[in-house]
Amino acid sequence: MKKKILATLLAATMVLGLCACGNKEVAEDTTATAETTEATEATEEAAEEAPAADLDFSQGGNITIWVAENVVDFTQQQWDAFIAANPDYAAFTATIEPVGEGDAAGNMITDVEGGADVFGFAQDQLARLVSAGAVMPVMGDYESFVTSSNDAGSVAAATVGGTIYAYPITSDNGYFLYYDKSVVTDPSTVEAIAEACDAAGKNFYMEINSGWYQTAFFFGEGCTLTYDTDDEGNFTACNIDYASDKGVKALRNICDLAAHKCFQNGSSMSNATNVAAIVDGTWDASAAKEVFGDNYACAKLPTMGGVQLSGFGGFKLLGVKPQEDAAKLKVCQDLAVWLSNEETQLARYEAVAWGPSNINAQASDAVKADEALSALAEQLAYTIPQGQYPGDYWTLATSLGDDIINGTISSSSSDEDLMAVLQNFQDTCISYAQ
Amino acid sequence: MAKDGNSKDNVKKYFEVVKEGFVEIGSIFKKGDWKTRVSYLIFGFGSIMRKQFAKGIALLASQIIFWVYLINFGLKYLVKFNTLGTEKKGFNPDGTVKYGDNSFLILLYGLLTIVLILVYLTIWYINIRASYKEQKILEQGKALPTNKKFFSSLLDQNFDKTLLAIPVLGTFLFTALPIAFMICVAFTNYDYDHQAPAKLFTWVGFENFKNLFSLNTNGFGSTFFVVLAWTLVWAFFATFLNYFLGIAVALLINKKGIKFKKMWRTILITTIAVPQFVSLLYMYKLFASDGIINAYLLKWGWIDSYIPFWQDPMLARITIIVVNLWIGIPYLMLMASGILMNIPADLYESATIDGANSWQCFFHITLPYMLFVTGPYLLTQFIGNLNNFNVIYLLNQGKPQSMGLAAKAGYTDLLVTWLYKMTVNDTNYKMAAVIGIMVFVVTAVISLIVYGLLPSVKDEEVFQ
Amino acid sequence: MNEKTSSLSRKRHIGNAVTYAILIIMSVVWLLPFVGLILQSFRSYVTEFGGMVDYVVPKEFSLDNYIYLLKPENKFTLWFKNTFIIAFFTSTLSTMIVLGVSYALSRMRFAGRQAIMKVWLILGMFPGFLTMICLYFLLKNFGLTQEGAIPGLILISVMTAAMKYYVCKGYFDTVPIALDEAARIDGASRARIFLTMIIPMAKPIIIYQLLESFMAPWCDYVFASYVAFGYSDSYNVAVALQRWVWTNDYQGFFTRFCAGGVLVAIPITVLFMLLQKYYVEGVTGGAVKG
Repeated sequence: MKKKILATLLAATMVLGLCACGNKEVAEDTTATAETTEATEATEEAAEEAPAADLDFSQGGNITIWVAENVVDFTQQQWDAFIAANPDYAAFTATIEPVGEGDAAGNMITDVEGGADVFGFAQDQLARLVSAGAVMPVMGDYESFVTSSNDAGSVAAATVGGTIYAYPITSDNGYFLYYDKSVVTDPSTVEAIAEACDAAGKNFYMEINSGWYQTAFFFGEGCTLTYDTDDEGNFTACNIDYASDKGVKALRNICDLAAHKCFQNGSSMSNATNVAAIVDGTWDASAAKEVFGDNYACAKLPTMGGVQLSGFGGFKLLGVKPQEDAAKLKVCQDLAVWLSNEETQLARYEAVAWGPSNINAQASDAVKADEALSALAEQLAYTIPQGQYPGDYWTLATSLGDDIINGTISSSSSDEDLMAVLQNFQDTCISYAQ
Repeated sequence: MAKDGNSKDNVKKYFEVVKEGFVEIGSIFKKGDWKTRVSYLIFGFGSIMRKQFAKGIALLASQIIFWVYLINFGLKYLVKFNTLGTEKKGFNPDGTVKYGDNSFLILLYGLLTIVLILVYLTIWYINIRASYKEQKILEQGKALPTNKKFFSSLLDQNFDKTLLAIPVLGTFLFTALPIAFMICVAFTNYDYDHQAPAKLFTWVGFENFKNLFSLNTNGFGSTFFVVLAWTLVWAFFATFLNYFLGIAVALLINKKGIKFKKMWRTILITTIAVPQFVSLLYMYKLFASDGIINAYLLKWGWIDSYIPFWQDPMLARITIIVVNLWIGIPYLMLMASGILMNIPADLYESATIDGANSWQCFFHITLPYMLFVTGPYLLTQFIGNLNNFNVIYLLNQGKPQSMGLAAKAGYTDLLVTWLYKMTVNDTNYKMAAVIGIMVFVVTAVISLIVYGLLPSVKDEEVFQ
Repeated sequence: MNEKTSSLSRKRHIGNAVTYAILIIMSVVWLLPFVGLILQSFRSYVTEFGGMVDYVVPKEFSLDNYIYLLKPENKFTLWFKNTFIIAFFTSTLSTMIVLGVSYALSRMRFAGRQAIMKVWLILGMFPGFLTMICLYFLLKNFGLTQEGAIPGLILISVMTAAMKYYVCKGYFDTVPIALDEAARIDGASRARIFLTMIIPMAKPIIIYQLLESFMAPWCDYVFASYVAFGYSDSYNVAVALQRWVWTNDYQGFFTRFCAGGVLVAIPITVLFMLLQKYYVEGVTGGAVKG
């Protein structure tokens, strides 16, 4: 209300308005007398020492939650259930907004204070978020909850340096092959798929200008690319060997794929036309079923040149923003636990078919029977868990992919040319780590 | 040369004015009575004592507001302005966060405070002069204007102040201040690694400009020049192709004997009426490698594999210029139709009598007339196209990228779309600010050069 | 003699035929995208497919997309209303500002007049995106982001509207100053002259200004998405609809995007067609006066 009044007075008393805000802040400054100590240590102690009973939840407050569009309703139901299960928190209200996992991190970083209190994001954003101070370290009981109930890969994905920063909610952020079985009869090799698609005049989609999908080729050939991070989300070292014979072979494979007539760059089922095969993730399962109808089928990624394609196994996480109000912080943390526990993960699987990261949920029969998730599980044997990568890496990878698509690099390039490109790529990747 | 002399004179004049101001402040203090002298400390004191309440209270209020602002708000930001804050973020024992200094707000409000201090000094000066003026009028035995007259003057001889108060304040607060802020940001290290409120940023001098002009492989330097070159090429084609084709279409529609003139015009201008985010996003999908155009060309067997409209750098640039024709021609057609009707008909009559054919008429009458009349418009169009965000970004977001270009820049990126990506996607504000300054420099240089060349730029008074 | 005229008229006929041919081809090229847009909007996302396809004519015509959009729980009507509110207030208030500024700069001579025009010219040379982040935090300070995004957007466009005074001032410049002088001799105040003489004469330019500033908010995606900052109740149509094309979260929303685009385009197109005459006058006048 105060803000609204301020707004109406704005035009006339701009300066006075500023003063009023200023007063408020001064007051806050003087009341906040708590000593600040080394960031993580303090919270670690705090989580263990401060008993929850001291907190006063009657003040209430509004908690903003950002999740992907298709789970907005689901999250609303879970919030209601959460409040029903925790009557102490009844004074709190929730605003659930559809902000996709791609946008959430970017928005949070732009304005941490204006952003959501609890938000879902894809794990590759974690280091950015930690660096911008937009996620709260997960400590004490919460930490043991995360480590004990989720699979090892997802816990590693939620960790930056030595600290856990997020609550895993899915282990399905990987990719595999969807195909139309009336067109593609042999989904085991790229060559066979491309040939079938070429013959049928259909399209074969793979997003080769994405740093996420590109690794399928490089990791498949045995290359590595990882970054080391410190506790603050800074990148300290880059382990990469793309500029090698293996790398050249992988790059040549990408070029060969791009040279096929049927090849289209892309990984979104609903943006794909005339599609017979697409490398995509579980989130597109329903769209794929719709498009392929009775011919819907999925499989692990094919081989290319006799080598199994690899790639990232990724995770979706839930983050809690650092809070200035201890009671609200507790509610947010409990909510994050609620939204990432076994029951909710199973319910979420049933509602929108997101593959759980919770070990018990993964063992459930329904999850095991899911076609897309089994294809993913099969593929996971060949992938590496996705760690943290600087934002510049994704940009660079897109540039590399675009150079292939527009023919700057092609299958007719010599090995020396490809090596030069990869050397440049590798040097640039290394330069991102200070 | 003459221009140089002028600007030197202007600078000289400016300093003289300032000097006179200071001299005046001293002499008023000497000659002023006690009411005027108290006004040096208390704004509007002289006016209030002389029953000029409206003016006096306004002055006094501005002084009170200023001090309340400064003490409660401005000062705490101003004192940290030179470091942009030193206290880091931390956590309280109960697990809540304690934000330290917010460099962003320190910079923003520090800047605002500095400007307000300058405004305050100006008001102080106005206040002294007003008081002295009243004193002199009274000494001469004349009557001071009543308060009522003061108000009614705001609708008459001072009407300009009434009309301009809000716009000037608004453009100061929402345009000038933010621009000053971003210019300052160009001299800091404000980026993704130094994001308020969690982290501090600070002054780094010319570091970012050095980065821009460093020509190593991963530096901004080479990329900047590629983007700049395309920006200029794009603006040239987008302006002149549209211009000439627009005139051509207008001539076609206005040709004698052509029927349904209104219908042709109406069909074309639907592109102006339909919001660009709809039509351009649709156009993007239309030309996609798996879009409808490629799909039909493949179905009909006209092509073997898709045409990479957006993937190939050269083709993407051409496609964008062509789509821009689709957007721009109707606009130019409308404008040209209007102007063509203004060309005196007897010019054509006498030319036809002299045996000129329609081509000669066009090149000797129509075109020179159009160019003369629309010279300034072409300049503003050119500058508008330098900053034409919508067409580029809604179509293909500046893609394709390349290993040869740094910082997410693509081959169809303009400086502004590149700047946008840096701001929104990368939160690399420091480099975005530097690019923004470069855009300004480019725009200003082109404007200055072209403006000097235009034949139709005359003194504005001539028209009245 | 007769032969000559007939050959001339034949020439003219051929010329006209060529012209008609060009115009017809152009009309097709100009209208086809819109025809495509409209056709796609009738492809059902329920029974057919809401994503991209490689054909234009839907297999079956359906109103599913429009029904989806018009259901209040899907918020499109809300976004539409938001945009309309922004457009309405922006256009009326900023037109008032522009008229006032143009009058002052065109008719009155005062200290600082040149300075104001020069400063605005210089400020206009900086790209607008540069200052978005700063404006966002300024607005946030007054509670005019997220929930308050709509008044915030109106405030910004109204407060900065003055910098677009050129066209209107150019128009006022062409009105003879002798008219003002005569009225002033008769004792009319500046305000009176402005309101009772200049404004009625400026009808075309006022409508031009209203129309221009009314249309702009419908396309404002960049700044509006910044100010709304993830608060979907404050979105305008451009912010909301672009997500359906660009974000992977919205699988199969393309046909709904098309339908939304059609719904947005209809009122603006109608308005534009009705006021076309004035718009042309504004464009021409603006071009001539720069």
